[in-house]
Amino acid sequence: MAQIISIDPVTRIEGHMRIDVEVAGGKVTNAWSSGTMFRGYEMLIVGKHPWDAQQVMERICGVCPLVHGTAASYSLETSMGAKLPNNARVIRNLMLAANFIQSHILHFYHLAALDYVDVTAVLKYNGNDKALNILKSKIGNLAKGGDLYPFLPRYESSDYVSDPVIATTLVSHYVQALEMRKKAQEMIAMFYGRMPSFVGTIPGGVTTQPTVSLAAALAARVAELQSWIDDVYVADVLDTVANVAAYQPFLKVGDSGGNYLAYGGFDLNQAGTDKFLPGGVIYNNDIMNVQPFTTASRSKITESVKHSWYKDSTDNLNPAVGKTEPQVGKEGAYSFIKAPRFDGKPMEVGPLARMLVKKPDLLVKVAQAKGLLNAPLQFGILARHAARAIECKLLADEMPTWIGQFEMGGPIWDPKGEQIPNKAEGAALVEGPRGALGHWNSIDGGKLSNYQAVVPTTWNASPRDTNGVKGPIENSLIGIPVPDPDNPINVVRAIRSFDPCIACAIHVIHPENNSVKAFRVV
Amino acid sequence: MAGKTVSRRQFLKHAGATAALLGLSEAMIPSIAKALEGLTTSGKPAVIYLQGQNCTGCSISLLNSNYPSVAELVLDKLSIRYHPNISAAAGYVAMSAITETAKANKGKFVLVTEGPVPTAENGAYCTFGVDLGKKKSLENNQVPEDKSYEAWLKELIPNAAAVICNGNCASYGGIPFANASVTGSTPIPAFAKKVSPNTPVVNVGGCPSHPDWFVGTVLEALLVLTGKMSMSTLKANLDSEGRSKTFFGKLIHENCERRAAFDSGIFLENWNDQNADFKQCMFKMGCKGPVTYADCPTRRWNSAVNWCVGANAPCHGCAEQAFYKDFSPLYKPLPNMNFTGLTPSTDVLGWVAAGATAVGVGAHYLYKQLGNKPEEPEGGEK
Repeated sequence: MAQIISIDPVTRIEGHMRIDVEVAGGKVTNAWSSGTMFRGYEMLIVGKHPWDAQQVMERICGVCPLVHGTAASYSLETSMGAKLPNNARVIRNLMLAANFIQSHILHFYHLAALDYVDVTAVLKYNGNDKALNILKSKIGNLAKGGDLYPFLPRYESSDYVSDPVIATTLVSHYVQALEMRKKAQEMIAMFYGRMPSFVGTIPGGVTTQPTVSLAAALAARVAELQSWIDDVYVADVLDTVANVAAYQPFLKVGDSGGNYLAYGGFDLNQAGTDKFLPGGVIYNNDIMNVQPFTTASRSKITESVKHSWYKDSTDNLNPAVGKTEPQVGKEGAYSFIKAPRFDGKPMEVGPLARMLVKKPDLLVKVAQAKGLLNAPLQFGILARHAARAIECKLLADEMPTWIGQFEMGGPIWDPKGEQIPNKAEGAALVEGPRGALGHWNSIDGGKLSNYQAVVPTTWNASPRDTNGVKGPIENSLIGIPVPDPDNPINVVRAIRSFDPCIACAIHVIHPENNSVKAFRVV
Repeated sequence: MAGKTVSRRQFLKHAGATAALLGLSEAMIPSIAKALEGLTTSGKPAVIYLQGQNCTGCSISLLNSNYPSVAELVLDKLSIRYHPNISAAAGYVAMSAITETAKANKGKFVLVTEGPVPTAENGAYCTFGVDLGKKKSLENNQVPEDKSYEAWLKELIPNAAAVICNGNCASYGGIPFANASVTGSTPIPAFAKKVSPNTPVVNVGGCPSHPDWFVGTVLEALLVLTGKMSMSTLKANLDSEGRSKTFFGKLIHENCERRAAFDSGIFLENWNDQNADFKQCMFKMGCKGPVTYADCPTRRWNSAVNWCVGANAPCHGCAEQAFYKDFSPLYKPLPNMNFTGLTPSTDVLGWVAAGATAVGVGAHYLYKQLGNKPEEPEGGEK
């Protein structure tokens, strides 16, 4: 008999998320994804000086403030006609890469790993490694006191990695990863002041000039991170977790439906025509037939609110003219997240989408070795983790090249960024750690008259659209095995593989009439 | 610490280092030693960490803690019964961890909050967990209703030993508070006062909070909860915005490494025109350092790598209640820089500051202009 399981709070993600799944015959047969927090954040920004935008917008999210603040700067630059100097382009790429690295490391170890590793197996470690024995003794003290928070309680499952050596090693990497992600944040602080809530981008450029000593300090941290990412992160994902026999089905199980979207990010030239992570669209898992994503493609984005807590009169609008008018308790609605669609279709965004568009050699090699290129083409939970780890490595490996492109003493700012037009509209569509991100701005009378963002998790965690079509996370849950309804571990494994960031569920309130307007993010 | 025997002398040294690194006063070292010792020998204090209308920035900032490191905090110092981003538990298992902790540790657990609480529409603008006693429909199914953050706080605050508001949003409402007319966004101190007036509430400023500010404030609260410090001493150390003077007692402007540039009237006016030998003052770019109380210039951020002014950007005043609305436009010089009746241009201002040492007076004057009561900065008036 079918039953509904409600999972709320979904923890170890960013923000407030609820998932309901219908389970029959030991498998998920239906799913609903809800974002359950609304801030109404941008009321302040409308009517304000455009330069405030990057400081307010980066505070959409404390995990990925870098990409929101940077996207705000790019978006304002299109309104002001400012052209980024080469130095600024390179520094922005480096800082954004550092934020991808911190976000991806944080995601695998601190948000996802406890779904796979049995922390209590550390107590059975009998090896001679000094560091692992210190860890064993720490965990042992916790266990003695009967207080294994925050590692227990958890959903119980028979397939956690419980080999004492492997589990202890993974837990020690969890601790190491705390330090590694911290170093990635420090790289951003060098040029941008601090993290989270950095101050280093301004319309037209960045605030810190490259120097030899900054380059050296940055390069030293990059080198340390590069070897850790290779030896630990990539190895843990590809060689350890992806090789566990019990997890083999998860290479394909958890596929979101086969549609992928990337706007493209990391400009390799000033015109922005060449990108380190190229944009593209994939339909129905036709990965060898990537469609280009161009400026003209932007008009194909619409947002359905049929099943979201917003008025039906705002259904299926393009973000450039979007509206957000909340209606709590609306019949048939179950989320504050809207349902963006491209060409009418739900789209998965994020590292997996970007890697399927870019197809780096390492990804192809791994996909071949894991049988991911055999029919039927499906990319599931572990494919998502693998793509994220590979992307992290690619970016870290590219950073030394970018550091080498600093023009010491060269300009970092186009003063045109300071010239606020009386009337203008601008947009920036970029890539953040979790996927495709768009920021739209309108300026009127020298002030911001409208501001909107469509963020990655809006795409991934969206509810059903006007036609009843499920969002990518909802779709990925269909068929997930749930042998024990009290412990739906595989459901949260699938959700977390998307690295959801719900805080971005934000909406603009128009200051005059108090109606919520044109900003929704999730 | 764990796994080895630690002598009393080593412990005092450790506590001294912790106190010094957090910027706590030397006089507190023996009591901190006692508190830290207590934490490792007689069970760790239970902490429930909840998030409302937040962005998780303060939690991410906490992960950057160095001394103690976050691993040490979680493994050795505190019993984190629930934290949305680190707890293994989800769903019902997570909800039970919260309710059972509150029941078993009534009057003893510390409640940490990040983000304000929305109270409009019965709390519907922020929910987590479910209310098993109530049902809602989801397509053709009946499922448990969402439980509001407001309902959680009403249950937990009266039973908490203390509430610590981590960051500007929990403490003062922050950016979400700007939309209070729609969501009913309420700062936690005001909400707590209504549901449980006797529960102590301590604020930590910052958007985000600095990990040391949060950890140090928690340590100070634990000194009280373990009987090592009196509540009146703790309260006397809070400023008019409910923050610990240990971290928020000094004006940024008075400790800024670029103060000499301000006094000499040397201001940054073009980001391409930076003087590496004599770093320009950020005042003309909108620096709010003259009206912001925080120890950023000396503590710095991210393992002391840098801070906002160090990156040639203005301080945006994020540790103050006035952030963001009352400090906008962020990149324009502070308004009404009125020294002894003059409204000088910033060039003149540099001259006035250098010649007449009017800055302390000016800062206090400005504070009034912005609608805030000034705290007496440590180090006395000029």
